[in-house]
Amino acid sequence: MAEPTDAPVRLVDVHKRFGTLTVLDGVSLDIPRGQTTAIIGPSGTGKSVLLKHIVGLIKPDAGEVSVFGTNMATAPEREVYAVRKRLGMLFQDGALFDSFSTGENIEFPLKQHHAEMSAEQRRARVEEVLAMVELPGLYDRPTPALSGGQRKRVGLARAIVTGPELVLFDEPNSGLDPMTSDAIDALIGHLKETLGITFVVITHDIVGTINVADHIAMLYGGKLVAWGTCAEVTHSEHPIVRRFLGRNLILPAPHDPASARLPSI
Amino acid sequence: MTDLLARIGHFGAFAGRVAVRMVTPPWNHEDFFRHAWTVSVRCLLPVIAVTFPFGLVIGLQGLAIFDLFGAQRLLPSLISVAVLRELSPVLASVLVAAQAGSSYAAELGSMRIKEELDATEIMAVDSVRWHVAPRVAALMLACPILNTVGDLAGLAGGYTMAVVVKGEPSGVFLANLWVFTHPSDVVGGLIKTTIFGAIIGMIACYHGFYATGGAAGVGRAVNDTVVRAALTFFAVNYFLTSALFG
Amino acid sequence: MSALAWVGGLAYFAWDWFKVAVTRRPPAGQTLVEAYRIGVQSLPVLLTISVFVGTNLALQGYNAFVPLGGQRLVGMFVAMAGVRELAPLIAAAMIAAKAGTEMASQIAVMRTREQIDALEVMAVNPYWYLVTPRLYAILAVMPALSLIAVFVTVCASYCVAVYQLGLNGPTFLEYARTSTHLRDILTGELKALVFAVIICFVSCYCGFRSEKGPEGVGKATNQAVVLSCILCVSFNYLVSQVLYG
Repeated sequence: MAEPTDAPVRLVDVHKRFGTLTVLDGVSLDIPRGQTTAIIGPSGTGKSVLLKHIVGLIKPDAGEVSVFGTNMATAPEREVYAVRKRLGMLFQDGALFDSFSTGENIEFPLKQHHAEMSAEQRRARVEEVLAMVELPGLYDRPTPALSGGQRKRVGLARAIVTGPELVLFDEPNSGLDPMTSDAIDALIGHLKETLGITFVVITHDIVGTINVADHIAMLYGGKLVAWGTCAEVTHSEHPIVRRFLGRNLILPAPHDPASARLPSI
Repeated sequence: MTDLLARIGHFGAFAGRVAVRMVTPPWNHEDFFRHAWTVSVRCLLPVIAVTFPFGLVIGLQGLAIFDLFGAQRLLPSLISVAVLRELSPVLASVLVAAQAGSSYAAELGSMRIKEELDATEIMAVDSVRWHVAPRVAALMLACPILNTVGDLAGLAGGYTMAVVVKGEPSGVFLANLWVFTHPSDVVGGLIKTTIFGAIIGMIACYHGFYATGGAAGVGRAVNDTVVRAALTFFAVNYFLTSALFG
Repeated sequence: MSALAWVGGLAYFAWDWFKVAVTRRPPAGQTLVEAYRIGVQSLPVLLTISVFVGTNLALQGYNAFVPLGGQRLVGMFVAMAGVRELAPLIAAAMIAAKAGTEMASQIAVMRTREQIDALEVMAVNPYWYLVTPRLYAILAVMPALSLIAVFVTVCASYCVAVYQLGLNGPTFLEYARTSTHLRDILTGELKALVFAVIICFVSCYCGFRSEKGPEGVGKATNQAVVLSCILCVSFNYLVSQVLYG
């Protein structure tokens, strides 16, 4: 496990309730630097809520959430924004702006925060990132014309275009058919190798996760019931973990990203 | 141009379907009363919140005009005539279009987007008869009621300005209130608003019923409803005013 | 939600915007686009409604003054009522109905599709990015639209007075001209600016506070129009009271 001081994201005893529903009940977690951490668990157990705590969209009722050393709940807006410039997030539906073209969507954070770049430099960077997500040449495609899988890729491109140190994924496989879902998993795995930065993936797609993640955390009933390396968690004796992973106890062979690369959808 | 005519034709066909289902049984009584009640309650405060200040303003400007001629005692009658014949019907209807019209467009639009209207039809229930007709009828009942409320609020506004703010004698004001007004003014206002209610209902339900394109489509339906309903009844208002009071 | 809490929330929202946006330039290029959209889209509606407001002003004014033998005064009545009160307010109501609902529904849809969250996560302040261009655009466009409304209203009244009611044209215009002072026009423009601010903040606020899903969008749009109208009418009275009372 990484040194605590090295962790880009630290959650310490985080509590959150919405009305009478306790969503997070004393969750403590250090996300290791430079590795891919998957957070799994049944639907509605607070995984997305946890993610929104990390980016500061939600504040905890108790406990502390610090990202790059900044306490996201108590820091002034300026500091929170400074932290956000160092991370990227892929939203469930991509959260792209329909009035922009594909390229303009990806370029948006560059335009906002990197005034020193010229238009040509921005364009070059966008094309570079489009190639990384395997959508070359789609700069001018109108956003509403993109398919579900393409929206995810473009959302991912936008998340990495500024060269962040941390990327967060909110259910990257949701709403995708199995083939496209595999393709996205392969892409995440490939980027993990290429960029070598910290990834945090919220998902309930077990098989894909196991192939992509270095570490797995499992949330159940608002609590962390499992945390460790991929191997540790998949061989855990904890009853809930076994139940959740049960159907997949016979693990498939590790994915070869190269062989899984189908024409992008 | 032909596109516009086609759309007007499409709307006309829809309005015809609704009208037939409003006058022939079976009727959806429960929803009719429920909608009429909801609309009246939800539009009550907005109508008052708009007609009362307008009464104040007529009082203010009216006094300015009549002061020029020393004819302050004519002010109450001017106020009541303006409010009953024109201002209350129009303002109340604008508010009803904005409040009830847009919420009908939003409700039916949501139902269309979430395929609830299709589900109704598949269960062999006429969605126009069940969902649309009661709403239109409810507005035709609620609008005149709200108009009456608006009448009272507008008059109260005029009274407040003249008596409370400017210090005209209360008794004189009230005595002069009805000098130039006739029952036909009140009736005229009620006729206008019944017709406006029908217009708002038809247009709102039409846009909601045929909404497309997800959540943004619902927003568009609401937008189009308020604007087109207002346009239509302002135009109709001109002809009605000419006919009733000209 | 209680009315007072809502108004408080609105004031806080306006203050939040002020803090972040007043020292920064607006997002490039968007203000002009918005101004064009608001102006061009609202114009046909505005013109049509102004015509019919004008016609009815003439009709009702005539009916009111005939028993007093004061038909000639219709020009004066139209000028005072139309220019001072009705035209700016009608312009505001139509802008609220057209541009205001669009602002509210666009922002509400963005909220539903997590685009506002995305802006925040990309360290772009959503109030600055979304409200500023719309506010500056509507401030730029509203005074012109109000002036147009005034002009069209009076013209329509003239037409009805002369061609339908048979009044004397020059008399009408004479009374109209002498009753309208520059002060009235400027008051109307001032009102237009106040209304513009109200409509923009109310509509954007309703959009930001919308609930998810198509119903949320519908509700937000609905609220935006109704509350804009109520607040504009109330402020109209206050401004008139101060300037004419």
